[in-house]
Amino acid sequence: MSVVVAKDLCRTYGSRRGISDVNLTINPGEIFGFLGPNGAGKSTTIRVLMGLLRASSGTAQIFGQDCWSEGSTIRQDVGYVAGDVRLYSWLTTRRGLSMISKIHGRDLLPNGLRLAERFRLEPDLVVRKMSRGNRQKVALVLALAHSPRLVILDEPTSGLDPLMQDTLMMCLRELASKGHTVMFSSHTLSEVETLCNRIAIVRDGQIVEDSALSSLKVQAPRQIVVTLQAEQLASDIQWPDGVDVKYMPSALPEQLSSTIALMVPPSLRDRTCILELRGTSAPFIRWAAGQNFADVVIGSPALEVLFRRYYES
Amino acid sequence: MSGLLRKIWMEVRWPMLWFSLGLCAIMGLLTALLPKILGNIHTVFDKMPIVKPLITALLGVDPGDKMSSQLSQAFLWVHPTVLTLIWAHEVMYCSRMPAGEIDRGTADFLLCLPVSRWKVFSAETIGWLISGVCILSFGYVGHLTASLTVQPEMRLSVPHTMMVMANLAAVYLAVGSFAFFLSALSDRRGRAIGVAFAIMLASFLLNFLAQFQDWAKGASWLSVMEYYRPAIIIQTGTFPWFDVGILLCIASAFWIASGVTFRMRSICTV
Repeated sequence: MSVVVAKDLCRTYGSRRGISDVNLTINPGEIFGFLGPNGAGKSTTIRVLMGLLRASSGTAQIFGQDCWSEGSTIRQDVGYVAGDVRLYSWLTTRRGLSMISKIHGRDLLPNGLRLAERFRLEPDLVVRKMSRGNRQKVALVLALAHSPRLVILDEPTSGLDPLMQDTLMMCLRELASKGHTVMFSSHTLSEVETLCNRIAIVRDGQIVEDSALSSLKVQAPRQIVVTLQAEQLASDIQWPDGVDVKYMPSALPEQLSSTIALMVPPSLRDRTCILELRGTSAPFIRWAAGQNFADVVIGSPALEVLFRRYYES
Repeated sequence: MSGLLRKIWMEVRWPMLWFSLGLCAIMGLLTALLPKILGNIHTVFDKMPIVKPLITALLGVDPGDKMSSQLSQAFLWVHPTVLTLIWAHEVMYCSRMPAGEIDRGTADFLLCLPVSRWKVFSAETIGWLISGVCILSFGYVGHLTASLTVQPEMRLSVPHTMMVMANLAAVYLAVGSFAFFLSALSDRRGRAIGVAFAIMLASFLLNFLAQFQDWAKGASWLSVMEYYRPAIIIQTGTFPWFDVGILLCIASAFWIASGVTFRMRSICTV
């Protein structure tokens, strides 16, 4: 059974659009990335799933139960961190753990304190004396302390330093390896790319892509840098299907993007072609093997380019 | 529930203590001083004629030219400072949730815990009732302590005091439920508090204007003060079943409406 199911979910704010016709299915053990620019509708979708907002139409279910009417039952097994974490000024990690222990009806203090230690959090420091990052950590500890079957995190890394981001990723991978499900919202591609195995992209309140990361990588263009032999002329080459020539040697700009610049030796700039490959790289590799090029460098799939297209189109 | 009550306790303990001590001190001072001040009130009535209708409005009965000691004691229970302290405390308390929680953004944390909204609302209600008992008890203790300094014939009997306090408790319930209702409708605590105070002030003014204006007299049933008349309780010695009944009906209606509104509404902190 799917952990999260949203069918034709719509939510409007008066005349303002929130989300429309959102269809989502998240399966057990998945780390699901929810990507989109600011204001695209990520938080609205999550807030409907958490039972904070009532859907204008459509259905939202978690563990097969309705998110609005069965919210309190569902939340027994859900850990949630909001996009903009606000906690009570008097709260400490220990007090928070003690409070949620009473609410959950089991002692979450040992597990919570272990998590606090991993996140390098002082358990008795009050929230009003904490930095934004530390508040974020408290929210994460309180959301993960009961080892929920579903973790929903709305842009959880904002305010966390890179080391703590790594710790969080590790915690989430551990949870997923035990069969728990993670829904991770972000507008930063790189963190979703390193963590998630499936991604949905939301834009203008609608899901415009919902695929496994591996299939997205196939769709994503790759940058290819081909260095010609001294006697080869770029204009004589018949490039195979799926290859777009971005720059011929004569048109190579002075300033290249950092990723491409690394692949272009300065001494060979006048013999360098920069291409963009769509689809899998195997046919191109076979073709290039028979061309007697001086060098061919194939970059990793540029998901960034793909996502920019979704965001901007 | 105990987790929620603990959270409420952490948030309201100091304001509750300060308001309770404040009411205790004010009630003590008024109990000790009012009979002396009001004993010569006729001189004030002569110099400032506006004072008499004001006191009449507050007491609900005409004090005549000279206030009796019993009426002086009744005035204690309707003194604007006393009512303001009690109402300020409960309007502040009752506007904390959901308006206050939404306003400061903590609603996301609270309402994503595995508890139903009814449970959250019930916990808030329990906290509100306990704080009401606490603040009224402190007020009574202040009054009781100070009444030892007053001549025995000027003291209010315990049954009379209890009847007045029961009526005041009913007012407390009605005003608090109304504040809960405004809070359930609002996303801004300041707005909920502002509207509650504006309506309480209007209610007070309506009660005052009813002394002079016929239209206000016709609408005075809308004022909460219409159902809180300590002077009549003290004079007649009968329990105000009708007034208390009306106030409890208002309290129940607003409390249920608050709970239903809070249960049904979307929570939007962003």
